[in-house]
Amino acid sequence: MELKTIYDAVINGEVQETQDLIREALADGIPAETILHDALIPAMTQVGCLFEAQEYYVPEMLVSAKAMQTGMQSLKPLLASEESKFDRQASPKAALGTVKGDLHDIGKDLVITMLEGAGFQVMDLGVDVQPEKFIEAIQDGAQLIGLSAMLTTTMLNMRSTIEALEEAGVRERVKVLVGGAPLNQSYADHIGADGFARDASSAVRKAQELLHVNEAKGE
Amino acid sequence: MNSRERVLLALNHKEPDRIPYDMGGTVVTGIQAKAYARLRKYLDLPEKEIIIIDILQQLAQVDDDVMDRMGLDFRNISPRSTASFKIELKLTPDGRYSFFHDEYQIGWRMPVDGGMYYDMFDHPLIGNISEEDVDRYRLPDPLDPSRFEGLRESAQKVLEQEKRALVIGNISAGIFELYLWTRGFKDGYTEWAENPSMAKKLLRKYSDLQLAYWERMFEVMEGIPIDVVQMADDLAGQNGMLISPGSYRRQLKPFHKEMFDFIHSKTDAKIFFHSCGSIRPLIPDLIEIGVDILNPVQVSAANMDSAELKREFGKDICFWGGGVDTQNVFDETHSPQQVRADVRKRLEDWMPGGGFVFNTVHNIQGNVPPENIMAMWETVRECGVYQN
Repeated sequence: MELKTIYDAVINGEVQETQDLIREALADGIPAETILHDALIPAMTQVGCLFEAQEYYVPEMLVSAKAMQTGMQSLKPLLASEESKFDRQASPKAALGTVKGDLHDIGKDLVITMLEGAGFQVMDLGVDVQPEKFIEAIQDGAQLIGLSAMLTTTMLNMRSTIEALEEAGVRERVKVLVGGAPLNQSYADHIGADGFARDASSAVRKAQELLHVNEAKGE
Repeated sequence: MNSRERVLLALNHKEPDRIPYDMGGTVVTGIQAKAYARLRKYLDLPEKEIIIIDILQQLAQVDDDVMDRMGLDFRNISPRSTASFKIELKLTPDGRYSFFHDEYQIGWRMPVDGGMYYDMFDHPLIGNISEEDVDRYRLPDPLDPSRFEGLRESAQKVLEQEKRALVIGNISAGIFELYLWTRGFKDGYTEWAENPSMAKKLLRKYSDLQLAYWERMFEVMEGIPIDVVQMADDLAGQNGMLISPGSYRRQLKPFHKEMFDFIHSKTDAKIFFHSCGSIRPLIPDLIEIGVDILNPVQVSAANMDSAELKREFGKDICFWGGGVDTQNVFDETHSPQQVRADVRKRLEDWMPGGGFVFNTVHNIQGNVPPENIMAMWETVRECGVYQN
């Protein structure tokens, strides 16, 4: 039951333990993609649930993410190799940033961490991101754009970013997910976003829903 | 009834003549410079240079003419930077940001175009650190005499001439805030759960800095009654706590208790404690360790309904803030009528029995038009009178 112990180690935020167990599992011949899909990703999904239930808070979530990311270092070379069935092309691609004028990246970074934990490839566009950079990311293959803002004064730039996507003719190619402390669903609807998420965990669920991630995998 | 008498009644859970009104009594109950400049113009007050008292938040110094005009009941006195420290504002090579490093070597920047605040971008203790790194990290001198120059004289003037309530500010942000600001948020939060002993070592260091500062400040103010001491530590977000209540109790509460016990042992001042967000799970803890006043009472955060909080905790703690919903009502997209309606509702919830000081939720933001500021003020003047 190595997969279950890895799963538990991630949830419990045991960084070294996770890495040791993954090495053992690989030595026992368990494929890297099995470890990723049957232990690490489900563990981070569970961490998301614990966060939403307010059993876990930001620190516990970050330590679990650290355990997963540390473990991934052993898996990545194998996942990237020719023999692997892990299809980089098929993993969903997202680009996230805080909108123009907003420098608050804690929430955005948490969402990135959790999206990566769910198997997304994520481009981090940083803070105070001009609309042009989101457009470039879409042209580079991002299927989902995540816009973050913490201030009532900067969330207005979410709308102008979405308008810029429309003007550039790329709006239809991408789903737009918005989040940040002052936002709510009605504001997201008002500015023409495809989705709103109130925290990092629900952002993952919403992103999967918008990109039909689980349906595509036939789950 | 003068301001100080009014405030003392309210803070002792009694009804004064009217609700005490604050704007600028602390660095978390002030007004952003752009909004302040427009307010002065709207009030037809003489044009003058706006003095920034808090560069990070771009807070304006509220001038005497505005204080008199609006009948503000509080005066803030805060320590200065050391004389040897000068903020050097620089521009990034691309010209997009103005930036500087503060006394704690934390880096801050603000967009040149349309920026309203400075935000952190650089942390002196980010990454993997050892205990030696913590020992080597140099904090500014809390006892530097230049910090305290002229403060006693100012306090005397407040007491004898203005008769406003005297609020003394802290030397720095809260100890948990300093912990996160120096470690960086991601490393700091991760360490909070992964390696609490390192977090404890840093909190000890920041607590010692503040304890030394407060001891000196009380010496400087010897014989002058201080009414309020301002403390802060942001512990909650929009939807809930940022750290678990359990980890607060284990890792941070003992430091808070030590500090508040010390302050209460030295002065009769009330302890004002600021934490944004949905702080409700910790309100009983804060009451237990000697917090007298809660701020900013973010009524738009989860489980922070004004009527419920007043009912549940109103006998044991004062509320200073929560007078208008800054996130959803108090901005440029709402009318003065909408502002009035929200303020009226909040007053009904907060004012019975005293224990309430009027303030917005946090500082008045840069986008609030003067019409809305004065609609709020007029509503408090009309409806904030006690019938006793």
